[in-house]
Amino acid sequence: MGVAPAATPPLAGFRPETREFMAQIVSRYPTRRAGLLPLLSLAQEEHGYLTVEAMEQIAAFLGLSPTEVYETASFYTLLHFRPIGEHLVQVCTNLSCALLGARPVVEHLKQRLGVREGETTADGLFTLETVECIAACGGAPALQVNGRYYERMTPSAADALLDRLAGER
Amino acid sequence: MSAPAYEKVILRNLQDPGYRGTLAEYRARGGYSGLPKALQLQPQEVIDLVKQSGLRGRGGAGFPTGLKWDFVPKDLALTKYVAINGDEGEPGTFKDRQLLEQEPHPIIEGTVITAYAIGAHVAYIYVRGEFVEGAKVFQRALEEAYAAGFLGKNILGSGFDLDFYMHRGAGAYICGEETGLLESLEGKRGQPRLKPPFPAVKGLFGKPTVVNNVETVSNLPPILVGGPEWYAGIGVPPKNTGTRIFSISGHVERPGNYELPLGLPLRELIFEHAGGIRGGRQLKAVIPGGASSPIFTPAHLDVKMDFDSVAAAGSMAGSGGVVVMDETTCLVRVARVIAHFFAHESCGQCTQCREGTAWLHKMLTRIDEGKGRPEDLEVILDVCDNMKGKTICVLSDAAAMPIESYIKHFRDDFEHHIRGGACPTGMA
Amino acid sequence: MADTIGLTLNGRSQEVAPAATIWQAARAVGLEVPTLCYDSRVAPAGNCRVCMVEVAGERVLAPACARQVQPGMVIETQSPKAVAARRMVVELYLADHPLGTCGVGKGCELEALARRLGLRGSRFPARSSAPKPDLSSPVIAVDLSKCILCRRCISACSDLQVNNVIGLDARGFSTTISFDTNLAMGRSTCVSCGECVSACPTEALVERLHQDVAFRPDARKTRTVCPYCGVGCNVELHVVDNRVVRVTGTRESAVNLGKLCVKGRFGYDFIQHPDRLTRALIRRPGVPREAADQGDPRDCFREASWDEALDLVAARLGGLKARYGPDALGVVSSAKCPNEENYLIQKFARVVLGTNNVDHCIRLCHASSVAALIYALGSGAMTNSSFEVYSSDVIIVMGSNTTENHPIISSHMRQAAKRGATLIVIDPRRIELVNHAHIWLRQRPGTDVALLNGLMHVILKEGLHDEAFIRGRTEGFEQLGPVIEAYPPERVEAITGVPAADLVRVARLYGRAKAAAIYWGMGMSQHTTGTDNCLSLINLGLLCGHVGREGTGLNPLRGQNNVQGAGDMGAIPDNYPGYQPVEDPGTREKFERAWGVPLNPRRGLTITEMMEAMRQGGLRGMYIVGENPLVSEANIAHARAALFRLEWIVAQDIFLNETARYADVVLPAACFAEKGGTYTNTDRRVQLARQAVEPPGEARADWEIICDVAVRMGYPMPYEDLAEVFAEAAAVTPIYAGLSYARLQGEGLQWPCADATSVGAPFLHKERFTRGLGRFVPCHQRPPRELPDDDFPFVLNTGRVLEHWHTGSMTRRSHGLDALYPELLVSIHPLDADELRVRSGDRVQVVSRRGRITARAEVTEQTPKGSIFIPFHFAEAAANLLTIDALDPVAKIPEYKFCAVRVERAA
Repeated sequence: MGVAPAATPPLAGFRPETREFMAQIVSRYPTRRAGLLPLLSLAQEEHGYLTVEAMEQIAAFLGLSPTEVYETASFYTLLHFRPIGEHLVQVCTNLSCALLGARPVVEHLKQRLGVREGETTADGLFTLETVECIAACGGAPALQVNGRYYERMTPSAADALLDRLAGER
Repeated sequence: MSAPAYEKVILRNLQDPGYRGTLAEYRARGGYSGLPKALQLQPQEVIDLVKQSGLRGRGGAGFPTGLKWDFVPKDLALTKYVAINGDEGEPGTFKDRQLLEQEPHPIIEGTVITAYAIGAHVAYIYVRGEFVEGAKVFQRALEEAYAAGFLGKNILGSGFDLDFYMHRGAGAYICGEETGLLESLEGKRGQPRLKPPFPAVKGLFGKPTVVNNVETVSNLPPILVGGPEWYAGIGVPPKNTGTRIFSISGHVERPGNYELPLGLPLRELIFEHAGGIRGGRQLKAVIPGGASSPIFTPAHLDVKMDFDSVAAAGSMAGSGGVVVMDETTCLVRVARVIAHFFAHESCGQCTQCREGTAWLHKMLTRIDEGKGRPEDLEVILDVCDNMKGKTICVLSDAAAMPIESYIKHFRDDFEHHIRGGACPTGMA
Repeated sequence: MADTIGLTLNGRSQEVAPAATIWQAARAVGLEVPTLCYDSRVAPAGNCRVCMVEVAGERVLAPACARQVQPGMVIETQSPKAVAARRMVVELYLADHPLGTCGVGKGCELEALARRLGLRGSRFPARSSAPKPDLSSPVIAVDLSKCILCRRCISACSDLQVNNVIGLDARGFSTTISFDTNLAMGRSTCVSCGECVSACPTEALVERLHQDVAFRPDARKTRTVCPYCGVGCNVELHVVDNRVVRVTGTRESAVNLGKLCVKGRFGYDFIQHPDRLTRALIRRPGVPREAADQGDPRDCFREASWDEALDLVAARLGGLKARYGPDALGVVSSAKCPNEENYLIQKFARVVLGTNNVDHCIRLCHASSVAALIYALGSGAMTNSSFEVYSSDVIIVMGSNTTENHPIISSHMRQAAKRGATLIVIDPRRIELVNHAHIWLRQRPGTDVALLNGLMHVILKEGLHDEAFIRGRTEGFEQLGPVIEAYPPERVEAITGVPAADLVRVARLYGRAKAAAIYWGMGMSQHTTGTDNCLSLINLGLLCGHVGREGTGLNPLRGQNNVQGAGDMGAIPDNYPGYQPVEDPGTREKFERAWGVPLNPRRGLTITEMMEAMRQGGLRGMYIVGENPLVSEANIAHARAALFRLEWIVAQDIFLNETARYADVVLPAACFAEKGGTYTNTDRRVQLARQAVEPPGEARADWEIICDVAVRMGYPMPYEDLAEVFAEAAAVTPIYAGLSYARLQGEGLQWPCADATSVGAPFLHKERFTRGLGRFVPCHQRPPRELPDDDFPFVLNTGRVLEHWHTGSMTRRSHGLDALYPELLVSIHPLDADELRVRSGDRVQVVSRRGRITARAEVTEQTPKGSIFIPFHFAEAAANLLTIDALDPVAKIPEYKFCAVRVERAA
């Protein structure tokens, strides 16, 4: 599909190096649309979540309609449409983790952070999510913080982890 | 007590404690010596060789790999693609993540062999979005392989070109289904496609495509080096050859990935390799091949863990994820957790999957919370029956089959919940 | 491949088409397999899983809608397994959509299916929360609590209309329908075509207009032709109590396959608007024309009986003719009227008044296209059918905002592009089609000839021209080279602003295409170089042999619903019906024989020339039917002054429009829904219209009025009905000779249709051009008449918007359309807006040497820098107060697309 010149350059809302990387990614595929998922992930990395403007700019860049971008994005659980905390805590509650005590870890985190699942702490530091299997069953119960694995969780281990993360600031 | 030792094919190098999976280390242990062998053969000879090895897909369905390749049209002028499935997400399975993080080069070498065999010049690996570390390692490995001439133009002077790109997912189990994966790679919702046509004829970007699992292609370099006869001699020839990585988790003493020949008894896996049930408790149930597989009971401990034997025993070898549950486990809770998973992961296309998985979860939650009704089990079984064999992909079947099996083998747990309103095991 | 294959369906051997799906095969032998997600117009999605059938030997049930039949297949559509699966699916739906959910009356396929399957309720508990209705669109109500996620609306929006507005949000059980980035429908980019409404099997999407009566079971449906643009979509008018309350598209129609645009679907309220004229009106004695400018223009008139009004019209027209001669009279016919009425109007002018001064709005839209096509090829019409876009591998759209002006043809183009055709847009504005185009050339306004010459320069240089075609089918090629030589890409880049590399790309794509077609609109024709522009397009087509074959061609997209037909019927000053010249003695004799009177041998005046004649006093009286020149003419102030010099005006219309209000007598006419007749659409398809409602009050069909005036002036026109008029017209119009009402009952026929055995012509010029050889007529680039300067630095471009039509008399009286686009917007580029310190919504004044208007600005990159765009539908801020009445020397069409203006912030 065509890419039309406009008064504002394409992907104006992104850093120049991101723009360059986005163009490079798109060149890996025979269709522009195939670059969509990687571009959305990059957009989220840069802005913390997917803003409407970012989705519209990516749509224009790839020759897609905003609908095509949004309906693809909304299919994937790692993509967010609202700001999330600095630390995204994703606790696996699937089978092996459930068997070995994921629930008490989640309940403890909810209490400690004062949030429900899917919510962000008022200070914007933590977002708590429960997630499906993260392929860490051998170290169950497991969780990820911003993609990093922490295994063999217990309520007290989770406490220590949160303390450390909060202290990193 | 030490477990019996078997020859390893894929995780061989990882036995060295200091092994980091870099190109240099991999080559120092004989890596990238299968590829030149393949490049010296005609593509069809590679296909035939893989057929002889008996290799079957390690992603879940266990389809013969060489046969899958052979379905691809031989027309040289056609653009073809290879897509490597690194979207591991089947609950209880964690082998592909280990391969991506610790032993990426056999995946690359195996992919080049695959692409050469079917005549593809572009390959993509779809890496699960959650695998941040795995993606980092794999990207580095790709760069190493390009720099060393194992990827790119004129690989090893053979005249064969291949570009290999990593494509990361963003959180959707269904992208592990091969046509869901292709849709996702094309920048769409990962909704499985109507079949026919199959990917070998009309796959990625409408072109013939082979989709192979990460573990599957990791077997190819050793097969090229050792020869198909050697590989076929491992396991249970002729149809269940080689090793596979069993991800063993749950209530065992030593959870982890174990590469073992196909056909060992389930008992040996649990009690010798994984160290038995934790704390000396009693075994209650085992999921033998990931969350989609129907459940086994202690009565199944002698079932041989190969594709055909597990199927004959009423389940499926699936992804090799073995989840062990001891006597403290409530199967109602297990059912609820599994039902939640499939409801969460249904793509939402087919009515009975979209609605059925959600209602299954609702009803199982109701039972788990002591609010079940006497008729619920029959309704659940009716829903399950109508979720199987009626949808675009098998996620619906995968959601229904385990639940059916839990009720079949552990009906008491369910009825106790419905009658008494409380869990007999007191599972947290 | 064999004609049929054998298989077993529900125990019986059947022969079915080999390419059929199981669903189609079953239907062909009378077995209905239920489905909720299948729309036969698009590829099956196969997701509702209602049509699942059992195929012997297969573990998995097969979706009948998607699975192709195979020889020997043994299929059971009603096996216990299939029926159980079907019932389960419906029962799961019923949990959230219990029987009785859909109560508006539109109907619910789910509930009907549930009843058919004997399901009354569901064993499953209902969802805890349901989405709230979305009433943000004035024309479509969205209630997703009734949605069954069949996705037919998505397919309608994305695959049929290719608007790509409706999509999905989330996945699994949480999946919902959503618009754009999950916006309310009314705030999304939805263009309100309503295709989703027609596709929706439940009442999740439903029309909002007249909801109280629109779905009454006693509604009567009448198939007719849409009254707006030249596409000629077929519509069903739903009538309750003599009121049109709903419009749906006709799925069987070859033109639109049931698709409609926002005007076609929601622009019908004008039919029963209180402003409709219901009585004849006669200007009160002593009331001057300009009195209509103050207060209610109706106060200038008194109501009169038909007899009084008709007597007066006949007497005054007769008097003027006697005093000043027949050529002191002029007639404006209407492209909104069917062929029969246009035939009668031009016959009235020629036979009763004795003048060839008859014209219609063709003069203002495509006169130059028609002139060029007739001169170079011999036929003044689209050479091809609009659905042939599906046979083209390269489609060029130049100077046509097709999406807003011919929405359904645009949707065909978008669908073709989606299926793989290369779409090239050449337009100064960033029109919607650019979103679907592979290449967009943004030329400076008024540089079209240079651009086309540049394309031909490259084609000739690179040897991409079709030598055999040029040798065998054309003449004048030797004159082309010397002209084209002067347009190398670099020079063309300097003139047009189009990068030379892009020019070369397009030239190669067009030159190398297997079948390339060109479509154009008024962006080409409405220039003082309009004829040159069109001749240049023709040169390009001839050069590459892209004409005379399926999927190739040269296609002006005609504006009005019957502008093609009005021209065909001779409502033009130089030709009798069938483009037979009035100045040819033999032809004239033929018509004198047919009509029984001597005919005026002098060609008549065009509308634009009539204006000049009024000014100079040569024209004394006008009969204006269904037109509104005081909004549609260029330089309205000038036109008004001219019109006011007339001694006498009779207007015949459905509303007291901005022109009729200055008339001496106004005759109330019936609108399209109130009469029959035939309309000829842009691709020459003659289609039968049918009466759906009675006209209001004393309003009468135009043909009846014309006949009555003719009788009073001494020439009987004793027609029983329109079929009789059509038969007479066909008899004197060779391209219509084979057409009759009997033959037009179905999908209509495309002219030329020479005799009763001819099936018409989807495309023209197959073996030879109508005039014999195709003629090259090379042209040089000439500048527009009025270039921007320091005082008037902007180029003004005028045209239409999707929601409105012509002078707005119909659309602005249609509630839904007016709500969607209530006031004039002046489009201006962001950089220009910055300089003027103007933001969207600010009021601006636009001034030309001829007039000024005030309106709100819309800041948009659609419009190129240095140019503004103003739609001409709004009488209160009429764009044509600004436009220049400079004419193309050949076709006499004004330069609506280019004049100089300045823009100021308004107080």
